[in-house]
Amino acid sequence: MSDAVAPVAVRPRKPRPQLHTYLLVIALAAFTVFAGRQIGFRWSSFIDIWSNPFWGRFWPVPWGWVLDRHNVLDALVETFQIAIISTTIGCTLALPIGFAMSKLTTPNTPTFWLSRTVMSIVRAIPDLLWGKLLVTAIGIGAFAGAWALTIFSLAVMVKLFSETVDAADERPLEAARAAGGRHTPAVRTAVLPEVFPAFVAYALYVFELNIRASLVLGLVGAGGIGRVVETQRATFNFDRLMGILIIMFVIVMSIEQVSVAVRKRLV
Amino acid sequence: MTAAVDQETGEVLTRPERPLAARNWRIGIAVLLIVGVMWSFSGLDAGLRDVVEAPREGWKIVKEMWPPAFKTVYHRGAVGKIFESLYVAWIGTMIGAILSFPLSFLAATNIAPTALRVPIRQVFNAIRSVPELIVAMVLITVLGLGPWAGALAIGLHSIGTLGKLSTEVIETSDEGPLEAISAAGGTWVSRMRWGMVPQVLPTVIGYWLFRFEINVRASAVLGLIGAGGIGGELVSQLNFRNFPEVGAVLLMVIAMVLVIDTISGFARRRIIAGSGRKIDDDETGRTVNLIGDLGGSGLTR
Repeated sequence: MSDAVAPVAVRPRKPRPQLHTYLLVIALAAFTVFAGRQIGFRWSSFIDIWSNPFWGRFWPVPWGWVLDRHNVLDALVETFQIAIISTTIGCTLALPIGFAMSKLTTPNTPTFWLSRTVMSIVRAIPDLLWGKLLVTAIGIGAFAGAWALTIFSLAVMVKLFSETVDAADERPLEAARAAGGRHTPAVRTAVLPEVFPAFVAYALYVFELNIRASLVLGLVGAGGIGRVVETQRATFNFDRLMGILIIMFVIVMSIEQVSVAVRKRLV
Repeated sequence: MTAAVDQETGEVLTRPERPLAARNWRIGIAVLLIVGVMWSFSGLDAGLRDVVEAPREGWKIVKEMWPPAFKTVYHRGAVGKIFESLYVAWIGTMIGAILSFPLSFLAATNIAPTALRVPIRQVFNAIRSVPELIVAMVLITVLGLGPWAGALAIGLHSIGTLGKLSTEVIETSDEGPLEAISAAGGTWVSRMRWGMVPQVLPTVIGYWLFRFEINVRASAVLGLIGAGGIGGELVSQLNFRNFPEVGAVLLMVIAMVLVIDTISGFARRRIIAGSGRKIDDDETGRTVNLIGDLGGSGLTR
């Protein structure tokens, strides 16, 4: 092939970004600057924070006080109790509601839409706002916190779970229905076994979320270790606060490690 | 239950019994859960009567919230507060995104040396484990009350979570383009710029947007401790037990969260799927999986 054209070493021109890409970037940058001005963004804060003499008050940690049973441990146990009860009840309730929220297993269309709408509204209210609302409704204490987290973990769980059910294999369900199964037994025997490992994995994940949330629930009066954080902050005992923060760090990290390891095995 | 009979051999077919070990496991776990719940309940300082009473109290308050008093909260500037929450979330996400992106390169196994990687990862973990509400509480003592302390708290927390996620994206990237660039004589910087960044950026931006959705919720909460935004309004109305006003503020929060989720969800799908292609179910399914895998990194929805 002597008449083949020698390859010309011309670099192809890079496609120019479209006009609306530029406009979007400019708009986002402008919005960022505007938002920064609105909330009082200051570059100097980044230096102020480091050079603040206030950090000296976080150290040394009075371990004697922190490890004393009545100061921290009791409240920590309460945090765990809130997390355990709300995860168990929330996830148990999420099982039927999650099935109702999936197109595959919903008993009928009105239930499908009703449960979806209600749950997305419940989920739109953050966990601590639930805490504050329930403290106002049923009084200060861990009981209100447990209610708040139960409601919130239900809402998170049904979202994760119903998405898994959506992706489940529909053929076993079809077979169960063809064999004359009524709705509930058919779902129980044909879909539940497939999605149950994911359910357990999500439940562990929700437990992790609940532990994190119940650490701060006390700030709004809903019990747990946050109660101690709030009183120590109000009395400016930042060294004790530091001790509590270190304990929180250890707890959150170890629970995450365990939960990730178990979830890896399950799914 | 009548036993089935095999048509050919006339043998009576019985259903095989469930394996004993599995049954024992099931009973064991059920007992453990029940005992756990009972123990937890004993610590809550509440009787069984309260369990029945609480929903009734709650319902009474929900009824009092209707009709919501939009007019009163509007005159108190609640719309401005909603926008303030949005600004706090946006600036927080920006701080987190801009600082976490370079750091996540230095934390990735396939790029950074161990001496650099391990400390940065530990910093991410430490930041992640402290709730942003507590970070905000501490920052308020340094910077004073107001939205800026809240935005910085959200930003700091986002560095931890976004850093972890971006590191994972970088670690699972394809090394082919990097190899090609070094074969063509590219430097480390050009390998990163042309080999790595284009590969990971769509997913990473997806995570930024996802974090923005979470931060919108977080910033609504931050007002509870005086770090700006709509939460402060909610608290003052709740403390005075002005329930129609509470109802109005709650509806505004719900509207804000749902609108942001919708916009951001659309943008995320558009970024991951690209403009030319139609997004089919499989692809959205994968996005869901991607997000479902966020385990332990602050997926609070």
